[in-house]
Amino acid sequence: MIVGIPRALLYHYYYPFWKTYFEELGIEVMVSPPTNKVVMDLGVKASVPEICVPIKVYLGHVLELVNMGADWIFVPRFVSIQKGQFFCPKFMGLPDMIRHSFPHIASRLLIPAIESTTDDLATSPKQYREIEEKLGISTAANKRALKKAETVWIDFRRWSLKGYEIPDAMALALGTKNPQQEAATIIEHQQDEITLGVLGYVYNLYDSMISLDILSRLREMNVKVKTFEMIPERMLKERLIGMPKTMFWTFSDKLFAAGYHFYNEESIDGLIHVTAFGCGPDSMLGKLLELDSVKYQKPFMTVRIDEHSGENHLQTRIEAYVDMLRRKKQLNTQRGA
Amino acid sequence: MKVSFPYMGTTVVYKKLLEMLGHEVIMPPKPTQKTINLGVKYSPEFACFPLKVIMGSYFEAIDKGAEVIITSGGHGPCRAGFYERVHRRILEAEGHFVDFIVFDSMFRDRKTFIENVKRLKGKTPLHKVIHALWMVYDMIGKLDKLEMEVQRIRAYEVNRGETTRIWEHIQKMFDKAYTRGALRNAYDKGRKMLAAIELHSVEEENRIRIGIVGEIYVVMEDSINMKMEQLLNSLGAEVERSQYLSQWVTYNMLPKWINWSHEKHILKLSDPYLPIQIGGHAKQSVGQIVDYSRRGFDGVVHLMPFGCLPELVSQSIIPKINEDFGIPVLTISLDEQAGIANNQTRVEAFIDLVKSKHKERLSQGEKNINKSTQHVTTTG
Repeated sequence: MIVGIPRALLYHYYYPFWKTYFEELGIEVMVSPPTNKVVMDLGVKASVPEICVPIKVYLGHVLELVNMGADWIFVPRFVSIQKGQFFCPKFMGLPDMIRHSFPHIASRLLIPAIESTTDDLATSPKQYREIEEKLGISTAANKRALKKAETVWIDFRRWSLKGYEIPDAMALALGTKNPQQEAATIIEHQQDEITLGVLGYVYNLYDSMISLDILSRLREMNVKVKTFEMIPERMLKERLIGMPKTMFWTFSDKLFAAGYHFYNEESIDGLIHVTAFGCGPDSMLGKLLELDSVKYQKPFMTVRIDEHSGENHLQTRIEAYVDMLRRKKQLNTQRGA
Repeated sequence: MKVSFPYMGTTVVYKKLLEMLGHEVIMPPKPTQKTINLGVKYSPEFACFPLKVIMGSYFEAIDKGAEVIITSGGHGPCRAGFYERVHRRILEAEGHFVDFIVFDSMFRDRKTFIENVKRLKGKTPLHKVIHALWMVYDMIGKLDKLEMEVQRIRAYEVNRGETTRIWEHIQKMFDKAYTRGALRNAYDKGRKMLAAIELHSVEEENRIRIGIVGEIYVVMEDSINMKMEQLLNSLGAEVERSQYLSQWVTYNMLPKWINWSHEKHILKLSDPYLPIQIGGHAKQSVGQIVDYSRRGFDGVVHLMPFGCLPELVSQSIIPKINEDFGIPVLTISLDEQAGIANNQTRVEAFIDLVKSKHKERLSQGEKNINKSTQHVTTTG
């Protein structure tokens, strides 16, 4: 029995959890290949034109897994991972979009509804009952697997918080990379180096096809990057205290808090907001942060991406932005001296 | 207090309630191209269309002297729950420091809710407040009944535009009614006026009926949906809207135990397609399309703001409903870029299709009847 996990959306946040969970249950896991032109086209053709690119890509990955011969496809319904907050409506209706658009695979979908009070998915085992029923697994085995998955996932988060980007953190948590080896490769912070706070959902930033690999482009320019998942939960929460109403989408809320964290943190020289064309939550969040960039005197740039994004355009924009930040920093240090 | 509110649908209702509570009401003008331009200029580019139009409305209301804006809130997952934060911030950035009274769910934050109610109530004695609420509730129901009639008969009016003119006049009559007697009078008079409109006679079986579903703001506010109801009527189709204010109030404002409204039935119908509430009116839209097909409607027009999160999900599910029930659905997404001529052509083509389908069904029905009579004659 093979369960297919689409390499899209929250794969980039929960893969270590899901992989460990299924393998612990003795089920083989199959992951779709990194997003490529074929997968993207499959998704674009299958979806409503107006919807955002990460959802289109997700549909592409689901279809690709069907082609690859997975017996089951894991498409959880993300409802909530924090009390009083939700996921974007598109996440909540995603399994329905899939099962009604492709009725021939509807019977092969695993759709656990994820409703928990923390982003640790092991805390409410009842959401995995669907898997018990469909795959014939005992409750005890299920609990054991969840426990193990939780340990690995927490380890993954720990690596993220240390400043590792998600692919590295995943490899470290899953044991495919050696921590000692990794520690040596971290470059020491240099004097004239600039640090950018990059705001964006994990499924956009870490999908090199969607984000046009903006993170490695920045790395090549010798820019240090910080993203929201590298900031401890506690510090994010602190930023939101005293706000009359925060975002009611969990990850948008985290980005929102991360934005203010970056504004307040002295080591951050500027912000880049990477957002998908037509992203609903981001349209609000981006505007509020943009209006406040004046208050905090920190540059803020929006990069909007979709399936038509051009590489050269992006390269030119970020180069110009980084050059501007470097010049600003040099001027400031000269004045300071 | 000089209060104002977002413009949506039959605004006389909100105006009346606020006036009866002793506030000076600054009526926001009905959204025009100018309102939209103003809203688009200040709003985030990818915000949904209602946010932009309401933004424009606020600027216009503030221009007319509004000091306090009353609006609804929410806690997601639809973006509408966050409108007020963005609106307030943008207004502040433009130097307008107006006060907002936001009604979030009373069950979630009872304290703020009660505070808001107290502020609105002001010095009005309690019995007067109850009287005002009761009267407005009555008025919404009456207006909705008349509006449903308007949407039906306008399809067959002999003199183009007569029904719309009379409907506007009726709303003005309601605006002037402050006692229950006056309200009843206005209602009776309105009914008589509508009954007096000269109509083409169309046989029952030749009548085309179209349902409008979708996101509440673009469904209810005709100035931003290209006057969809009037357009459909003028093409000879009767129209029913998925949302009427009275239903919304019954479902959202009254306690659960008297809530066996239409809405519950609709939500149940959508269960096979969309098992949970995903915000906005997606679940309702899906249920309503099923409901309309069960009730023998000829087609459905599905309206949504461009990029609307919940409605995109319902749009993805519509092909399946269409397959299951055979009801034609036309989805139109609206925003400041919408071209009227383009959409008009689409609607006209849609109605042509619906009409020919209707005819086909009729002739199919006749054939079946002939067959069965033949059958009877041969066996007999």
